[in-house]
Amino acid sequence: MPSSTTRSDIEIDQLSKVFGSGDDAVRALDAVSLTIPENEFFTLLGPSGCGKTTLLRMIAGFEQPSSGAIRLGGSDIADLPPNKRPVNTVFQSYALFPHMTVAQNIGFALKMLGRPKAEIEATVAEMLKLVKMEPMANRKPSQISGGQQQRVALARALAPRPRVLLLDEPLSALDLKLRKEMQVELKRLQGETGITFVFVTHDQEEALTMSDRIAVMSAGKVRQVGTPREIYNHPADRFVADFIGDTNFLTATVEKANGATARVRLPSGHQLDAGLPTGLSPVSGDEVTLVTRPEHARLATEGPLKGTVENAVYFGTDTHIHVRLDTGDLFILRNQNTTSAAALPEKGDPVAIAIPDGAVRIVRS
Amino acid sequence: MGKRNFSVASLPGFGTIAIITFIFLYLPIVTLVVYSFNEAASMSRWEGFSLRWYEAALANRQVQDVSIRSLVIAGWAATLATILATMAALATTRNERRFPGQTMIYALINQPLMVPEIVTGVALLIFFAMIKIATGYQGLGYLIAAHTAFCIPFAYLPIRARLETMDLTLERAAADLYATPLQAFRHVTLPLLVPGILAGFMLGFVTSLDTVVITEFVKSAGQDTLPTYMLGQLRRVVTPEMNAISTLFLLLSLIAVTVFFLLSRKKA
Repeated sequence: MPSSTTRSDIEIDQLSKVFGSGDDAVRALDAVSLTIPENEFFTLLGPSGCGKTTLLRMIAGFEQPSSGAIRLGGSDIADLPPNKRPVNTVFQSYALFPHMTVAQNIGFALKMLGRPKAEIEATVAEMLKLVKMEPMANRKPSQISGGQQQRVALARALAPRPRVLLLDEPLSALDLKLRKEMQVELKRLQGETGITFVFVTHDQEEALTMSDRIAVMSAGKVRQVGTPREIYNHPADRFVADFIGDTNFLTATVEKANGATARVRLPSGHQLDAGLPTGLSPVSGDEVTLVTRPEHARLATEGPLKGTVENAVYFGTDTHIHVRLDTGDLFILRNQNTTSAAALPEKGDPVAIAIPDGAVRIVRS
Repeated sequence: MGKRNFSVASLPGFGTIAIITFIFLYLPIVTLVVYSFNEAASMSRWEGFSLRWYEAALANRQVQDVSIRSLVIAGWAATLATILATMAALATTRNERRFPGQTMIYALINQPLMVPEIVTGVALLIFFAMIKIATGYQGLGYLIAAHTAFCIPFAYLPIRARLETMDLTLERAAADLYATPLQAFRHVTLPLLVPGILAGFMLGFVTSLDTVVITEFVKSAGQDTLPTYMLGQLRRVVTPEMNAISTLFLLLSLIAVTVFFLLSRKKA
């Protein structure tokens, strides 16, 4: 958690980017405002085309904003070319220089900055050690594996000690096992270097496991900013709830709103207390969208939701039970598997679903 | 016969046709080379092996003069054309957004490949005649300028091809790592472009060495190049000395083309 002593490092202020003009104009980024404190692992998460990469490229200096400001440590950098910004990027394709060795790649930035040879050599050695690539120092990028190229790309971007490290879906080209390893590795590097990381991904699991805070984006707008727990447990709107994890959606009518919760009535007549996102205050009679996570609901003999089992899918750690509710909606439950093989309902069985207090929230639709 | 085993190469007569084509292409050249080693002064009667025509060719002052002139012109023209073509290729590939008329410029750069050489020759003759009258300059500059213009598209094509396969992200990465635009060009773009530049230079060089029509139209008195000199000689006495010169010329072209091939294949 950022404490009160941390300074904000990056301030994105009403930043917009429009590609093209007239009827063909595409608003890639729509008045986005964000504050990222120093030393934070901050993730921009969203589906492709949501504007996350455009935002990253504007922080790096590869795109000019149409309007708005980007401040780094208080000073506006929007007009600076990429080589004047204390920001380095790990590219999705790594973009290692093919004609240089691993060591030359890592030392490139310091060489461009005109640092003394001894300092460059010392930093390159330190970086090679940091990413555990010492034996590969004299190889060319074409002579090392994809995972190793990834490490070199990281070391190259970290070598000049940037204020901010930008990572553009850096793990997407790696296979699952290597990706998991690199997730841990990235967290370690961020902790050891104390550099602010801005990480772009479309992988919600990656975002949840690695980030201090996440900004969920869609259609050029930031939908919600928060810690992984906040985003997962208290999604602000239907898009966030749907994009992060698996979610069941229900419709209900508001009976009475009282501060942080609201009493809602399901079509079955049952009443529940549902959490409210900040800033939303529905009135009695409003139709609202409820969300609940599959792992929070459970099978019961009696409950507010009734239906028929349509399918039970075994996942090893748990079983997903698909229930067709009497209202016609599909509801998914996640039941953790235990050694005592408790009898699970089978296809066609009528079931009831119980939802504990605090497991249901209202979202903006 | 199974359909999945079908191959064009297995069609009857395919091999025969291929052999005939090769004979067609190379028999005249093989004949030329063989007769360059002929003892006799005739081009059609074989009298035994000899290097006398090579000795004669190499000792011939005129052959020496025109060869040097050809190499000087080709060297200058290929160098200038390569520099201009590199700049043109950079401008037509390394811009963030296409500028108006970019396709037009691409077509115009390649235009000399399409325009009949004789038209370019006549145009240059008239154009340079005007300059000659205005300035009085009669030197080799006209031939170098004409050859440069003619060689630009040949140098441009491999350089552009190389740039197009080169990832733009590399230059972006260089800028991200504090390289000024000039440093990014010097340390990233240029080293990666070298094979394309060398290939462009070689193509330009060979093209310039080979050009007859344009040289014929542009040259002043006493400015024969090797091909125009040979053409002039063939109209008079024909001795195997011409075979020897042609063979040497062929050897030079082969070396240049081989170097070009090896360079363009390297890390493409």
